[in-house]
Amino acid sequence: MAVTAQQEKAPPSQAEALYQAQLRKERLFRTHVGASWGVLFLILIFLFSGQEIKLGPIQYQTIQLDSEFILKKLGFIAQGLGQTLLISALSIAVAMTLALLAALGRLSTFPPIYAVSTFYVSLIRGTPLYLQIFFFFLALPQLGINLSGVVAGVTALGLNYGAYMSETFRAGLSSVGKGQREAAMALGMTPGQTMKRIVLPQALRFAIPPMGNDFISMTKDSALVSATGFVHELMWRAVKVGRAQFNNLEALIMAAMFYWMLTLILTYFQGKLEARLARGDR
Amino acid sequence: MSLPIVKISNLDKYFGRLHVLKNISLEVPERQVVCLIGRSGSGKSTLLRCVNFLEDPSHGAVEVDGVRVAAEVKGQERRQLIHDVRLKTGMVFQEFNLFPHMSVLENVIEGPVTVKGMDRNRAVELAELNLDSVGMLFKKDEYPMRLSGGQKQRVAIARALTMEPRVMLFDEPTSALDPELIGEVLSVMKKVANEGMTMIVVTHEMGFAREVADRVIVMSEGELIEDAAPDELFSQPKDPRTRALIDRYRTDEK
Repeated sequence: MAVTAQQEKAPPSQAEALYQAQLRKERLFRTHVGASWGVLFLILIFLFSGQEIKLGPIQYQTIQLDSEFILKKLGFIAQGLGQTLLISALSIAVAMTLALLAALGRLSTFPPIYAVSTFYVSLIRGTPLYLQIFFFFLALPQLGINLSGVVAGVTALGLNYGAYMSETFRAGLSSVGKGQREAAMALGMTPGQTMKRIVLPQALRFAIPPMGNDFISMTKDSALVSATGFVHELMWRAVKVGRAQFNNLEALIMAAMFYWMLTLILTYFQGKLEARLARGDR
Repeated sequence: MSLPIVKISNLDKYFGRLHVLKNISLEVPERQVVCLIGRSGSGKSTLLRCVNFLEDPSHGAVEVDGVRVAAEVKGQERRQLIHDVRLKTGMVFQEFNLFPHMSVLENVIEGPVTVKGMDRNRAVELAELNLDSVGMLFKKDEYPMRLSGGQKQRVAIARALTMEPRVMLFDEPTSALDPELIGEVLSVMKKVANEGMTMIVVTHEMGFAREVADRVIVMSEGELIEDAAPDELFSQPKDPRTRALIDRYRTDEK
């Protein structure tokens, strides 16, 4: 019995102790970063609190926000969240489809398909997104094609991000070594089976983290769609109420907070997804 | 002598302007173990890869178990014939080429299920049998990342065997391994040979060639320069280039 008791109290091995110390160090770092974020956030709030600071000869009046306006219009701006998310989700779906097709087209040995893929990417990347949104909303009606603001916005965002994301997919596809294709071919897989079963799963795993970044920047670029004047998402609502009552400062700060919150939430999920993908791979 | 199961006739291969295989003809009877040796750049790997059409021969024909693919046959017919040849050959690569996104078991059943349309349960049964015979059943749920090189190569052998091929092709199967891991792979290969599999092995392992091969073929500059039983070839090499090659390995072994 005495022996067991002794074993239970046995000091941890040196490796274990070093490992624990390292874990503590990492935890401490994270705690400190978190606390510093909190302080920075408090400073930000303080700067907009309207307080007056007197430190001897130094006098400083922080920025005064119209809290009555904020409370009254918070709901109105928040209603834009749905539209912003809807546009982003639809656009990302369009973009991913186009990006995959363009990336596969880039692998094609059939000249017309290769040409269509590179032509599309070049044309879209060679023109501003802002112009593309106006093109689908304002220029197409001249040809008798009338798109609603949402459809024009989704088309432009989808086409635009599709062109950029095709490069991400292409990098993913070329990250899969030649040996993988050869092993699949040696087993007797057709090119289609090789792509679907062996190459794409590995390429997607490689491409998901950068795709997450694209999705996050798309939620912010969706603000450009407000320029059509007919899509009532966050940005449109902020500009509308801000201009009407000359409270642009409050309105834009509110919209900014909503976008920031959205990206924080999306970044969190992206991190989770990446951690999951990292397991069991290579 | 039994019927040839692999028959290569008048095969040429060019890489651009480089003539890497020069009018090669070779027959391998069933159950024979052939080792292909030669300096790097002699064309031995290219010849092996022509057997299952990972490289396309420029001229000539390859026949595996009655399926003949001549270089002149093109289009859909060619694709079908190549597919048939690949079903009859299993290949083991220098770099293992296991699928990193699949577990060991999934790697091994992938071929039978996707290519042959085999029932999954039946494929698992067969896969476990082969994994057991290469001593890797205990790792069946691991991912390749977690295996040593020798273990990866044993899984790769099980993966090829589970397709129930008529011929196994080995392309320098131990060249990417740490020295202490070579033995376990060679002993699995020896076991496969003893079970009566026809094997073509590109290798630098002279010990394996001497002990396991029925026949050793020496290649140099795209040609077969000597073809003999290992005892004969290693004790009385006829071609001076063979002698030089063997001497070089002897010095390496010391």
